[in-house]
Amino acid sequence: MSENLECLELGQVDEVAVVKFRDKKVMDPSRIEQMGKELLELIADDENERLLINFDNVSFFSSAAINKLIVLEKQIRAKGGKLRLCNLRPEVRDLFSYTSLDQMFEIDQEQVESIQALSQ
Amino acid sequence: MSKPQEIERSLNSDPNHCAELLRELLEMLRLDGWGKDDMFAIRMAMEEAIMNGIKHGNEEDHEKKVCVSIRLAKDRFYAKITDQGLGFCPDDVPDPTAEQNLDKTSGRGVMLIKAFVDECNYNKCGNSVELIKYRS
Repeated sequence: MSENLECLELGQVDEVAVVKFRDKKVMDPSRIEQMGKELLELIADDENERLLINFDNVSFFSSAAINKLIVLEKQIRAKGGKLRLCNLRPEVRDLFSYTSLDQMFEIDQEQVESIQALSQ
Repeated sequence: MSKPQEIERSLNSDPNHCAELLRELLEMLRLDGWGKDDMFAIRMAMEEAIMNGIKHGNEEDHEKKVCVSIRLAKDRFYAKITDQGLGFCPDDVPDPTAEQNLDKTSGRGVMLIKAFVDECNYNKCGNSVELIKYRS
């Protein structure tokens, strides 16, 4: 599956689908559209209802990209799935706290914490 | 010869032109010795302000322009971004941090601009914004 994704890399740890962004800077409008589309396609598959987005290597994330995550979170929640984020650089984490989205998203420091939480 | 400390651009309402300008700006900041955190903040505020002008102000009408003026001084970054749209009232944008608005996808850009610069002033009509960020 991952080889068909332009903007995302998909892996699996235990029962959790782990997604990473291919772009270090998630800001290009057409790439953001594609990224949003790929995320929604991923969760259409019931095997990916426990989803972790690992921000490893992401140095920039625009509000347009954040909006794609909001849409994703709503859809996962509606399906009864679970979403967590991990490995955010401090400046990227600030985007979520400045906009109070750290109340909406479950954010962990390390992938291992997220996997543990999503496996429960 | 020293590198220019000003950029003046009239951008087409095409998001790709925003990316080109930001690359040029970041190179100018880097050569001028700005720190990583300041560069991140300026980039974030500028991208949001220009994209707001392109998408919401000019509604991606390619006949309309977004004018960007940037000046770097020793202790501060200054930018003015003006679109050709009807403008808006920033105070009317719903607070994206309010619980009932958290899952909405609007209003976050303006909030991020304000969060990442030291001064953010819209003109009366709301189609032009001036940003100032002091060097850390």
